[in-house]
Amino acid sequence: MTTRATRGPRRRTVVALAVILSVLVAFVVRLVDIQVVSADEHVSQSLTKIGAGDTIPGQRGAIVDAGGSVLASSVMVYDAQLSPLVITQLEEKDPKLPWAEASDKIAAITGQTGDEVRTMVADALAVDAKSQYVLLKRSLSTDQYIALKELKLAYLHFDSRETRVYPNGAVAGNILGFLDSSGSAQAGIEQMGQECLAPTDGEESYRTGANGVVIPGSERTVPAVNGGSVQLTINSDLNWYLQQMIAEEAQAQGAKAGTVTVVEVKTGKIRAAAEWPALDPNDLDASTPETRASQIFHRDFEPGSTFKAITAAAAIEGAGLTPLSTVSAASRETFPNGAVINDAFTHPAYNYTLAGGLIDSSNVALSKFGTMVSPDVRYDYLERFGVGQKVLDFPSEVSGILHPVKDWDAQSLYTTTFGQYYTVTAAQLAGAYQAIANGGEKIDLSLVESCTAADGTVVDSAAPKHERIIKEQTAAELTRMLENVAVQGGNADRIQVPGYRVTSKTGTAQVADEVNGGYKAGVYYTSMVGFAPVDDPQYVVVVTLDEPTKVVSSAATAPAFQKAMTQVMKTYRVMPSTVPMDELLPKFG
Amino acid sequence: MSLNAVVRKPAQPVAPAREPERRLRPVERPSTRRKPKLAYALVALGGALAIGAAQVALSLAITQDSFTLAGLSSQQRDLSLHTHALQEELTGVSSPQVLASSAAGLGMVVAGAPSYLRLSDGAVFGTGAGADWTSTVNPDGAGAVSNALIVDPPPPADTTDDGTTPPPTQELPPAITDGLPSPTTH
Repeated sequence: MTTRATRGPRRRTVVALAVILSVLVAFVVRLVDIQVVSADEHVSQSLTKIGAGDTIPGQRGAIVDAGGSVLASSVMVYDAQLSPLVITQLEEKDPKLPWAEASDKIAAITGQTGDEVRTMVADALAVDAKSQYVLLKRSLSTDQYIALKELKLAYLHFDSRETRVYPNGAVAGNILGFLDSSGSAQAGIEQMGQECLAPTDGEESYRTGANGVVIPGSERTVPAVNGGSVQLTINSDLNWYLQQMIAEEAQAQGAKAGTVTVVEVKTGKIRAAAEWPALDPNDLDASTPETRASQIFHRDFEPGSTFKAITAAAAIEGAGLTPLSTVSAASRETFPNGAVINDAFTHPAYNYTLAGGLIDSSNVALSKFGTMVSPDVRYDYLERFGVGQKVLDFPSEVSGILHPVKDWDAQSLYTTTFGQYYTVTAAQLAGAYQAIANGGEKIDLSLVESCTAADGTVVDSAAPKHERIIKEQTAAELTRMLENVAVQGGNADRIQVPGYRVTSKTGTAQVADEVNGGYKAGVYYTSMVGFAPVDDPQYVVVVTLDEPTKVVSSAATAPAFQKAMTQVMKTYRVMPSTVPMDELLPKFG
Repeated sequence: MSLNAVVRKPAQPVAPAREPERRLRPVERPSTRRKPKLAYALVALGGALAIGAAQVALSLAITQDSFTLAGLSSQQRDLSLHTHALQEELTGVSSPQVLASSAAGLGMVVAGAPSYLRLSDGAVFGTGAGADWTSTVNPDGAGAVSNALIVDPPPPADTTDDGTTPPPTQELPPAITDGLPSPTTH
């Protein structure tokens, strides 16, 4: 029974309890808010005041060739600084090594003169008597760094930084690419393999109390992970030879530039990509920006006669032709739609076989063979052989131009049969002939073998795509005709590789005149492509010369092609041909 | 009112009251405590001192080890610096350019097509001819593949007057009269 007298104090108790509880709840809510809800924010806020740390830089990975020779690696270089203030202070006391003597010793190591070093310091002191900083020399080698350190001078300080060296210089330089001064990849494999090569920086963090004292036990170190190394399919020794050779040949022929590309038939691996002028990534200033990209992937040109083989493939499969099918062709003919086609040399109307059309490289004959199939079929074959598609997404690679059939006019209906009105790169040309050499199976070209991470795990590049684009029989007939081109064509004597049966086809492309429009008169972008040995094709070789002037036609590429093919056969110990050549195909029917 | 009020309990026989035990009694004389033995104290003290000494010795050893460790790691740093320096010296020298021009200096040529001899029947494949006197490339010519790392031209091959290369002088191993050679460590 509650009386009025007892009700009063009890209510007060309840009220007081409620107040206390609500305050308590408020505190709990706030506590949860601080400790749980916005904990991260507060922690990060506090860390800005007491947290400190340094990044531990990782080292960028190396690029090695197929045999493991290092083509690019990272090394430390040192920037040396002097403190003029400390020098003067030490001079006033009794220095162990007087400045006059010390400066001579420093200069002897850094390759400067003693006077230069002394003037540097005197100049700095003239500007500011308490100067603490003079840059002595940048990019000192480890050897110089050790020698300077051994002088044990209190006023010498060093900053180390990573830099990239390319031990083989310009060998495959255009393929390797380069880094800019801030260390980011600008071209080539350096850019393409960035994911593998780039290191992950580590971090050393700790917390500091008042006066920056490190709080014991708060140190945390996340070690840096060095970049992985990229292994290329390139053979650097072969690449060196081909670069040396193409440089000599291009200069002998008065050409502006030249390239050699070597592709392994059975795997699609690019074994050499040589060019002149070449980029030495160690010395970017020695090259012009135009020569820094790889011409093999960057320069597209109308292939010309090398693609007559692709027209032949389309005609064999699409119209049932054989190497002995014939057409009548004069050196200049006007076609029903008004197009006029010329051959490179004057001749009466010959009854050319398909093989003969290729051997004499007759534009008129190929125009007639090619138009036996519809333009759509030819377009399809050009696409199958890789025209208009990038080979491997190399930085700055171009895909070339392949106009759709509806854009082909009266003239280009015929010129597309002999490699005009579309463009390819040297790499695409090599890829197209790889398919013929490999019995009609096209394998995507590759340049990167694998990526080896810093912990040793090897990640192989994705297996290249294999695709049958022409019948084995067609490939065999093309190979036989291309061998006849090598044996019966105009360059037969110049391209013989003793002991080996080779195929070859030349190409002469007109060069667009960017100043006056149209084509440049009397100069061409010449090329030669072939593979060997015919009885078991192993390597495709593509040689190009940009506007040779001594011999302007594709004959200019013959000596380079012969040397390149010989060296490739030697490098890979390819057995000379043991099966003799089939009987010669007749040029005329 | 309850029945208990009327029915009286029969009187219980009362036991003769015992004299309650005395709660307080005089303390007995405490037994004489034996005199503490000095030996125990010495043992305890000695133990403490021994522990202290062991700790000092241990921490000295640890400190000594950390000095050794620091010494060794600085030695390791020096050595890896030297390794780097030596590797840097090799970078340009190991390139195919240097090898080729050194070989050319010795009169070697890059020959043309190769020949192969099949051992089973003595058949010769390929050219069947030897290399001629001209090289297919000239590594020191106008087309030399550049390499900014090669500062000095490779030294000419060491030949004697009659054109033969002297046999490399082999360094003799160190004499072991003073015991087996061992690396000096700090």
